[in-house]
Amino acid sequence: MIELTHFQILSGFLFAIGLYGVLARRNAILVLMSIELMLNAVNINLIGYSIFMNASESHRALGHVIIIFVITVAAAELALAIAIILRLYRNKSSINTDDINIMKW
Amino acid sequence: MDSNNTIGLHAAWVIPLLSAAAFLIIVFSMRLVGFFFSDRNKLAMLAPIVSITAILAGFILFWLVLLDVLNFDGGSISMAWLIVGPAEIRWGIFVDKISVAMIGLVTFISLLVQVYSIGYMKGDRHFEWYFAIHALFATAMLTLVLADNLLFLYFAWELVGLGSYLLIGFWWEKRSAAEAAKKAFITTRIGDVCLLIGIILLFRETGTFNISEIFHIAESGEINNAILNSSVLLIFIGAMGKSAQFPFHVWLPDAMEGPTPVSALIHAATMVAAGVYLVARMMPIFELAPEIMLIVMIIGLITFIFAGSMALVMNDIKKILAYSTISHLGLMMLCLGTGGVAAAIFHLIVHGIAKALLFLGAGSLMHSISNETNIWKMGGLRHRMPITAVTFFIGAASLAGLPPLAGFFSKDELLLSVLHDGQYVVFAITLLGVFLSALYMARVAIVPFFGSVPKNLAQSHESGSIIWVPLVILATLSAGVGFLILPLGSTYPGWAEFINPKHHFEIKPWLMILSIILTLIALILGWSIYVKKLVSAKQISQFIPYLHKTILNKYYIDDFYQWVIDKCILTFGRLVALFDRVVINDTVVDGSAISIYLSALKTRVFQTGYLFTYGAAMAIGASGLTILWWVLLD
Repeated sequence: MIELTHFQILSGFLFAIGLYGVLARRNAILVLMSIELMLNAVNINLIGYSIFMNASESHRALGHVIIIFVITVAAAELALAIAIILRLYRNKSSINTDDINIMKW
Repeated sequence: MDSNNTIGLHAAWVIPLLSAAAFLIIVFSMRLVGFFFSDRNKLAMLAPIVSITAILAGFILFWLVLLDVLNFDGGSISMAWLIVGPAEIRWGIFVDKISVAMIGLVTFISLLVQVYSIGYMKGDRHFEWYFAIHALFATAMLTLVLADNLLFLYFAWELVGLGSYLLIGFWWEKRSAAEAAKKAFITTRIGDVCLLIGIILLFRETGTFNISEIFHIAESGEINNAILNSSVLLIFIGAMGKSAQFPFHVWLPDAMEGPTPVSALIHAATMVAAGVYLVARMMPIFELAPEIMLIVMIIGLITFIFAGSMALVMNDIKKILAYSTISHLGLMMLCLGTGGVAAAIFHLIVHGIAKALLFLGAGSLMHSISNETNIWKMGGLRHRMPITAVTFFIGAASLAGLPPLAGFFSKDELLLSVLHDGQYVVFAITLLGVFLSALYMARVAIVPFFGSVPKNLAQSHESGSIIWVPLVILATLSAGVGFLILPLGSTYPGWAEFINPKHHFEIKPWLMILSIILTLIALILGWSIYVKKLVSAKQISQFIPYLHKTILNKYYIDDFYQWVIDKCILTFGRLVALFDRVVINDTVVDGSAISIYLSALKTRVFQTGYLFTYGAAMAIGASGLTILWWVLLD
């Protein structure tokens, strides 16, 4: 039988992998993918609570609503991020995040 | 509104409004009308027409007010202005014998000066503006004499100051004129501030600004004596500033920088009269403070003698007249200090007419001799300018106190009032001042008109009729107005009783003879010095050279003030500026900005620009917050 704990463990794993990807990878596309992974980890966590929480129908539906929002935002964000990365590549011929350090003072 | 209001009372509040309307019309509509006139000179003539119509209408209404006062004893009208807590402040006018006399003087002198100015100011670049400020000035002064409460009076008082500032600095392109205007404004401002404090003190004690209510409360003894004394003193300091009493007299001689008709107006009817009027108006509370009355008397006496001595040695015709004005104002204050309101107001009127005459005469002189003001460079002008000469003589003789001209009667009243006070030392010094004033009047009248004509004045000629007609009118009045002192029939009991029913008309023959003798001695002395050259003025001045030099340098008072301003005030100012620069600007304002800039230089290395640094910071921060939340929650 699948419990809330399983959802949480899966979600935690995915989140940790995502975090590791964001911090450790140097390829901008991979960083982006890791961010997506983190977002989906949160989604899984939310859906788990939505299913197993001891609450009314309408309250539980709230979890689904938030997930749809997250997916929408993630899609929009992805489009923007890909565009930025494309421009970066055009300008610098590289998508290595170590080469992109102009975002300071 | 009061129940006893009559036509005269309603006429009274219209008088200042007319001039105010003239001011607004000239200032705001002249440009509009300009579209319909191609000829600028014709357009410029509209301004005097507007302002003179207003003041002429005021002068006509004055007779209505006068009739009303003679029949019904005046009264007051007011309307609500502000209601603040328990205090109600009202706009109001108060018509009594003093204010009606002042309205007559102000409208009449303003009317003549404005007519004269058409001739005198012809072709000036700011011709319209000149008449606009004249109208404003008249409004302010008329409001001042009519105001029934101190706040309203203070309003008008400040407007008078503004008007004089604008008029003295009328030729502001000239640096000295701008400086003189500034000096007049700042000097009188010291007095104004004191006046305001005095008014506020009275308001705090009585809860009202209304003058008659204040008198009522003061007379019932409900005001703390110390506060009454200090507020009366402060009000007197305000009057000293406006009336150019020692030590605030320095602005008046410098005010000669304005156009000459302006000097006539300021010296005769408006600016300087305001201080004397204020003291006369507030006399009931001055009388409750005998110590302050003594101060008023002493200040008046000092000013009288001290300005008279300066008038005796100046060489500039306008300066002589200016010091003579200060001296006569001192005489009025001296008389007010002895409680002689009727005599002081009478002398104010007589002096106003005579001094307007003298200034307009001096203007006529200067106009025909290319603006020369040094009396020693004039001479023999009585043949060239007979009308100016004769009218000037009448004005000077009136102020010198020669019977039967007006000045003789007013001076006699003043002396009588001083004598009644019983201070014989003061009386003796006053007689000395009377002698001085006759002597300098002889000097200023004789030197330009007698002797031989200097070569450079060969072209001089009599001024046009628009200039001499006002002179003749003023001269006639200056000769005749003195008879107002005498009782005329049953309706008019003589000036003194008209102003204050407790007084009675009286004559002391020995006093009259004494003052006539003094005047005659002075005039004969003047004649023998300046015409017959029997006595050399130079020898007299060399007899006591230090005194002569001191007086010629205006007793070094101007220099002393300049020294105080340069050394004390400016040094203090520099200190304040230094404090501002070093402490406020460099330390507090710039200092905080610089410290943030420097700390930013140190801390900005945390901003690496690498993505993973920011990511790690976010991750650590988020987990830190989570742990914190966890710990705090348990």
